[in-house]
Amino acid sequence: MRKKKISLSAIIVSLVVSFVAFILICALLLFFKIYLSSMEQNAITSSEQAVVQVSNTVGNYADDMKGIMDIIKDGFDQSEDEREDTLNTLMKVRTDLVAVYIYDENQNMVSSYTGEYQLKKEYLKNLSYVKRENYETGEIYISEPHVESLLENYYPWVVTILEEIENEDGSKSRVVFDISFSKIANYVDDVGIGQHGYCFIIGTKGEIIYHPQQQLIFSGLKEENTEGIADHLDGSYQDSNVIYTIKSLNNSDWRIVGVSYINELIASEVISVVKTLIIMLLLIMIVAMISSYVMSKVISKPIQKLMKAMEDFEQDAAGYSFQSVGGTTEIQALSQSFDHMVVQIQELMTKVRKEEITLRKTELKALQAQINPHFLYNTLDAIGWLCEEERSQDAVEMVNALAKLFRISISKGHELITIEKEVEHAKSYLKIENFRYKNQFVYEFIVEEECLPYYCNKITLQPIIENAIYHGLNRMVDDGHIGIHIYAEEEDIVMEVIDNGVGMTPEQIHSILYKEPGDKTGIGIKNVNDRIKIYFGEKYGILIESELDEGTCVKIRMPKIERENYEYI
Amino acid sequence: MNTFKKIVVWILLGVMLITLVSCSNKDNKKHYVAMITKSTKSAFWQSVFAGASAAATEYNLSISYAGPELEEDYEYQNDLIYQAIEDGAEAVIFSAVDYNANAKAIEDAAKKGLKVIIIDSDVNSNQVTCRIGTDNYAAGCMAGEAALASSEEKIHIGIVNYDINSANGQQREDGFREIVSKDSRVIDIVTINVVSTTEDARKGTKQLLEEHPEINVIATFNEWTSLGVGWAIRDLNLADETTVVAFDSNVVSVGMLETGEVDALIVQNPYAMGYLGVEKVAELIRGQSIEKGTIDTSTTLITRDNMYDAEYQKILFSFH
Repeated sequence: MRKKKISLSAIIVSLVVSFVAFILICALLLFFKIYLSSMEQNAITSSEQAVVQVSNTVGNYADDMKGIMDIIKDGFDQSEDEREDTLNTLMKVRTDLVAVYIYDENQNMVSSYTGEYQLKKEYLKNLSYVKRENYETGEIYISEPHVESLLENYYPWVVTILEEIENEDGSKSRVVFDISFSKIANYVDDVGIGQHGYCFIIGTKGEIIYHPQQQLIFSGLKEENTEGIADHLDGSYQDSNVIYTIKSLNNSDWRIVGVSYINELIASEVISVVKTLIIMLLLIMIVAMISSYVMSKVISKPIQKLMKAMEDFEQDAAGYSFQSVGGTTEIQALSQSFDHMVVQIQELMTKVRKEEITLRKTELKALQAQINPHFLYNTLDAIGWLCEEERSQDAVEMVNALAKLFRISISKGHELITIEKEVEHAKSYLKIENFRYKNQFVYEFIVEEECLPYYCNKITLQPIIENAIYHGLNRMVDDGHIGIHIYAEEEDIVMEVIDNGVGMTPEQIHSILYKEPGDKTGIGIKNVNDRIKIYFGEKYGILIESELDEGTCVKIRMPKIERENYEYI
Repeated sequence: MNTFKKIVVWILLGVMLITLVSCSNKDNKKHYVAMITKSTKSAFWQSVFAGASAAATEYNLSISYAGPELEEDYEYQNDLIYQAIEDGAEAVIFSAVDYNANAKAIEDAAKKGLKVIIIDSDVNSNQVTCRIGTDNYAAGCMAGEAALASSEEKIHIGIVNYDINSANGQQREDGFREIVSKDSRVIDIVTINVVSTTEDARKGTKQLLEEHPEINVIATFNEWTSLGVGWAIRDLNLADETTVVAFDSNVVSVGMLETGEVDALIVQNPYAMGYLGVEKVAELIRGQSIEKGTIDTSTTLITRDNMYDAEYQKILFSFH
């Protein structure tokens, strides 16, 4: 039988759809690759821009500190009072200036300007001093951020700036001021790169100068891989999905680090792009599906029709007529070819049947020409014996029966004769045989009147009766009985030959119906059956039912034929 | 063919639905979280709020801060909880004034579907998803160790504690007693409970020292009482005679540490409490499952010797 059933349209739809999907996905992947790399480039660029901005601002802050330092240094060129004024004004104006301290060369505090806050009388530690081994005059020293430890109840985070200056008398003073770090801190806090990106400041050794999330880092809730960062030169580099951008300040040891997350920068944009793409993809897929479905319909509908047509043709080749199928040119060509094929096959079939019939006719004629010689001898023997016995009446009957037998057998070469004649033929044969068998059996004909005018194949009954006598009754001890019934059944004629002989096995029945009789002359049951089937079709012919020791019933079925020149179409 | 068609149609429908759902803009309303604390004034709570704000910004939540004027006012806290339910908060981050008296309001909030996260001070309810704060018992032990640094041969301890119903104060005292009671030098321990204000603690401490002049070590367990004790020591000029172990840091208590009225500060990590509280809420709202249980934030012992060390500066002094 057929393999797993996959319909053509399913194949086409899935092919088209998968093809479209494949192309789309390839295109998408390619697009993504390009898109992602450009996005990454953008991310790096925006990160670098942010870092440059921060470094500029922090650089300005450092310059600003130098500016403050210059103002303070200028104060040293003025008189004491003026200097006091300048510094006090400076403290008022610059709110981010926490304190100014003047030290001598030996690190003793000479004077201090602390604005509104009081210097502690005793302090635990002085963090507001940048300690170095030696100082270059004119060089500016900047400390790391620390807490102001010299003021009463005021602990702001500050950066300390120190410069050594030369006084007029050649002695050196060290000007130190603390400037609030919160301005820078607030500025750095507000820098964002992407959603979660941020900047922070590290020192040369990678120590964190300021980090917007430093409280989290000090609390151990967050980690920042500062060591890894410190080893890198300025520029951008990527670590898994984090972009680090580093820039050193020109005027101090600090470095700005920008941290941004690629996936985050890109994710939000990608999601929106992906959404549109997915919608597009879906639309394309739907269109592809619909179009491929339509296409498959156009192709497979006609093919299905053609398939159906072929099935019908298989079922009933003879009575089939073909309506051609529309569709694509290929399908039309197919359907036309099929049309031709059907016509040709049907022509061939009728031709074959005609040939078959001619063949049977010639066969029959040959067979009739050589009617069983034993039968003839025996009959003539019997007639001769009757003449010897001077039973002329019986002899005449026998001779007449024999003559009738032959006449009807030949019947001018016609194949079909009336049932009436066929019955006569059978009767003649039975008369002869009954005489020869010395009335070992009795027979009876029950024939419906209306059947007589119809036609049937000649020599239909005789071979069956012969079979009943030779194979059924001959071996019997009791009296045999043969019944011949002919009756109409709807559109058919049925002839039955029933005997009460020994019966047949199924194997015997099969061999009688389908095997050529070997060296036997005469007309066999197979021949009868074949002729009926050739003339009237497969549903007609002989059916044998038999039970051993009970008897046999042979049913011959044929249509009601009203003309002798009947041709089966 | 038919089944094939059906399958295809269903798949298509499913995919379209998913896209529609995903494309339909989710209402970009921020999730609202209420933080209700014992007080809003102290440096401790300011630091908690700073941490919470940092996390709220990071996780895109809207957050409100509220707390009573007085650290004993659990009724007002309960009102705030109901107010938060009214205002449609999805979670409440809570620090309980009273271990038992706040329980019902928290249970009600949990019934209404609010997630409850406790920071700093616990409440008597099993509806709490997560507790974040100092391991109070361990912090008490730390205070005990610091108290035993006293060089006295005979130690008389005074404890100035706050509201007896407040869970964390009691736990700290238990930890403290556990450690000091093991030392043979400790003769006796006297506890007083004061209202959690500087003024009340100042009065209470003076009274304690008048009644028990032998006391040479004082322990106290939160920011306000620490200040009160510091002031009392300053008033009575006993900075050199008494060892004071106090909790939390603000500008004034740091000054007192420097000048000697206070000898050790147990500094908690309020910033981390606030940050973690909000972070956990964000995880819950996102539908992640978080482990039930407690998260301990760190405590640090700060003394005159280490207060200006670089690392300790960062813990002791806030940046802004």
